[in-house]
Amino acid sequence: MSDTQTPDTPKGPIGRFLAASPDSVGKTIFVAVAICLVASMIVSVAAVSLRPVQEANKLRDKQLNVLQVAGVYEPGMDVAAAFADFEPKVLELASGDFSDQFDAATFDDAAAVDDPELSIALENDPAAIGRQSKFRTIYLLKDESGALDKVILPIRGYGLWSTLYGFIAIEENGNDIFGLQFYQHGETPGLGAEVDNPKWKAVWNGKKLFDESGELQISVAKAQGPAGPEHHIDALAGATLTSVGVDNLVNFWMGDQGYAPFLEKLKAGEL
Amino acid sequence: MGLRSFFERIEPHFEKGGKYEKYFPLYEMVESLVYTPKTVTTVAPHARSYVDMKRIMTYVVIATIPCILWGMFNTGLQANSAIAALGEGSASGWRIAILQMLGISLDASNPLANFAHGLLYFLPIYITTLVVGGIWEVLFATVRGHEVNEGFLVTSMLYTLIMPATAPLWQVALGISFGVVIGKEVFGGTGKNFLNPALVGRAFLYFAYPANMSGDSVWTPVDGFSGATALGVTARDGVDALAVEGITWLDAFYGTIQGSFGETSTLACAIGLAFLLITKIANWRLIVGCLGGMIAFSALLNVIGSDSNPMFAMPWHWHLVLGGYAFGLAFMVTEPVSASHTNMGRFIYGALIGVMVVLIRVINPAFPEGMMLAILFGNVFAPLIDYFVVQANIKRRARRHV
Amino acid sequence: MAQKRKELLVDPLVDNNPITLQVLGICSALAVTSSLKVAFVMALAVTFVTAFSSLFISILRSQIPSSIRIIVQMVIIASLVILVDQILKAYAFEISKTLSVFVGLIITNCIVMGRAEAFAMSNPPGAAFLDGIGNGLGYGLILMLVGVIRELFGSGSLFGVTILQTVNNGGWYVPNGMLLLPPSAFFAIGLLIWGFRTWKPKQVEEREFKIQTVEGH
Repeated sequence: MSDTQTPDTPKGPIGRFLAASPDSVGKTIFVAVAICLVASMIVSVAAVSLRPVQEANKLRDKQLNVLQVAGVYEPGMDVAAAFADFEPKVLELASGDFSDQFDAATFDDAAAVDDPELSIALENDPAAIGRQSKFRTIYLLKDESGALDKVILPIRGYGLWSTLYGFIAIEENGNDIFGLQFYQHGETPGLGAEVDNPKWKAVWNGKKLFDESGELQISVAKAQGPAGPEHHIDALAGATLTSVGVDNLVNFWMGDQGYAPFLEKLKAGEL
Repeated sequence: MGLRSFFERIEPHFEKGGKYEKYFPLYEMVESLVYTPKTVTTVAPHARSYVDMKRIMTYVVIATIPCILWGMFNTGLQANSAIAALGEGSASGWRIAILQMLGISLDASNPLANFAHGLLYFLPIYITTLVVGGIWEVLFATVRGHEVNEGFLVTSMLYTLIMPATAPLWQVALGISFGVVIGKEVFGGTGKNFLNPALVGRAFLYFAYPANMSGDSVWTPVDGFSGATALGVTARDGVDALAVEGITWLDAFYGTIQGSFGETSTLACAIGLAFLLITKIANWRLIVGCLGGMIAFSALLNVIGSDSNPMFAMPWHWHLVLGGYAFGLAFMVTEPVSASHTNMGRFIYGALIGVMVVLIRVINPAFPEGMMLAILFGNVFAPLIDYFVVQANIKRRARRHV
Repeated sequence: MAQKRKELLVDPLVDNNPITLQVLGICSALAVTSSLKVAFVMALAVTFVTAFSSLFISILRSQIPSSIRIIVQMVIIASLVILVDQILKAYAFEISKTLSVFVGLIITNCIVMGRAEAFAMSNPPGAAFLDGIGNGLGYGLILMLVGVIRELFGSGSLFGVTILQTVNNGGWYVPNGMLLLPPSAFFAIGLLIWGFRTWKPKQVEEREFKIQTVEGH
């Protein structure tokens, strides 16, 4: 147990300490504290120094999704520069007006959904999202002359296994769909996950949300409804429930609990 | 007598030390197919009597005959009806060419025409299954030096009967390969498999190629025809919607509805099951357990009810006749190798499958059909059930002697 | 010594593979092998963590009190894993999104703990470091093999480059959807173990019991 057992007795206090049995109480505590200190230092240095890069990544990821749904993304392009054409705005869903309460650059949509002040629990909840935020960040794409070209609206809802998160891009007339894109979901590979299939996404382009009388008619279904082909998107083959989920969530977000008030204003040209 | 003496003449070549020693399994397979085998099983799972494997397996194949015949007829009926509904233009392909060559009409009201049309769908799938599965069987038998087992005849027939008529042949081949190799041979061959090989192959295809194995357009082999299965309709709109689609309970019982080859007719399955029960191949406890579990659990769900899920309201007599329940009950649940081996265990095993099939059909949104998964689930639990039954018995008897 | 060093590196690849022989680290092998790129990064991450945790633990081995030795090992492993996670989030964001929690779960990967306990605690730092690399590579090898099978036949591509043009994109190949589901890795690993043991019969364990044959009736 003592240092005298080793043939050459270590010199100085540090040497004696190192040679002491690791199982003594003092040394156990010392080792525990030392390891924890060193480890926490390394971890926190890494976390703090890498945070700016990570934040930039997250932002870029979000911007990338917006660019993709707006159809302007090309591999290898400068995402941040291309995103400069998009103007983020915080929208008050119920009134369909932009809100000055929040700064669009920093508004945290994810936190707002859970905030009882900023969100409501849904009674009628076809998209099965639970709580609906009163405010959403949306993106406006202006063309070269500065006129409104497209609006990019975030949507989400439950499919078969998972919540699908995505964006829908709508033309400046508030009625024509430009595109739809989900950036996160956990649907069955080969069936429901075909929501990512470029061919299926291409079908959305040019479809109309509302009929001439202003009724919401868009539907994702196997058979074409009475509203006509411009409101009908063919359901995914073999993925009935995911298709029903997409149908529900698009109808929910384009309906009165979603962006309908805003789209009304858009159609009337009040923006 | 020529054949017998031929076998006797060539047999020494295949026995130990003979020229073709390695190919004994092949010899044995042909010989025992023609004549009654000289050896009978002496180990589990069939050690109870001198009933040999060949007789059991032959009886099971005989029991499937009503299902096979009905399957061919119904496949043709569905196809011919769909062609009539969609117009002559939808009739194309080599099958139609052969039928026209033979002068057979596409008239859905002519049973023989239906039968011939269905036969042309059944045969390619069955032959593919036999050839591909047979190659694997012989390969393993040759490498491992055991006999090719007649069990494969049953597996291949059951596998074919649970295929949709439109199944692409390469998928059929892949599925039976997976079923035979992973479902049976890796565990040591017939008698040591704890899963039903035919179902393993089917489950593989179900998860690998869901677009070809489920959905609305795979059951009736006519291009452009799309119609939900009875269970699919029920899952969406409830049992009452079946009447709108023109499906009565008796239709489902006789089997003039869409589905895999052998599963549509509850009547044909019942005839086969009666044969298996009379010959004592099938154990009645499994049947009682599985029916009891299904009836009790579906009745419970009927009572609980649900506003959003119409499947809750589906009564037990519909569960019985729709989907693969009847077929699975008659030919899969009763399969002796993968089921429980104790009498008490058989009740529990059957009940577990009966409950699971209703649970999967009703509660799980993705799988309107649940029999395949329920039986595989039961297979996995069978040894555990046996273990607990045996342990309980040991405890009870030990108490008696304290 | 050179011979021994080589053994430390090569032995865990086939002869003493952490996945196929020791059957460790299966959980992440199921989860991250549906695409090769992800499997590759995961293999690198595990190799890095195993190598350096073995190195540090070996350096400290005479100073680690036995009463808290597992905790000390965990702290070292966890710090390394967090480091890897942070670096991935900063420099390989797309991949870190797919790997999600599985980087964090390297902490619980039995291979890392196993090598620390079984080897690093009783061997010098150099050997421990090589042993860590070797086991990481052994894990990586299986991950890559499974990844090749799953990505090639499940999505028709390798490292995201299309090899078999799939039907949905106008080609001929019908992708096997089961291979994209985690349970398929069970089959793939099982078949690999079968292959390895046919190749090297001494890996086959002895039977625990023999099935009785009944003589006569």
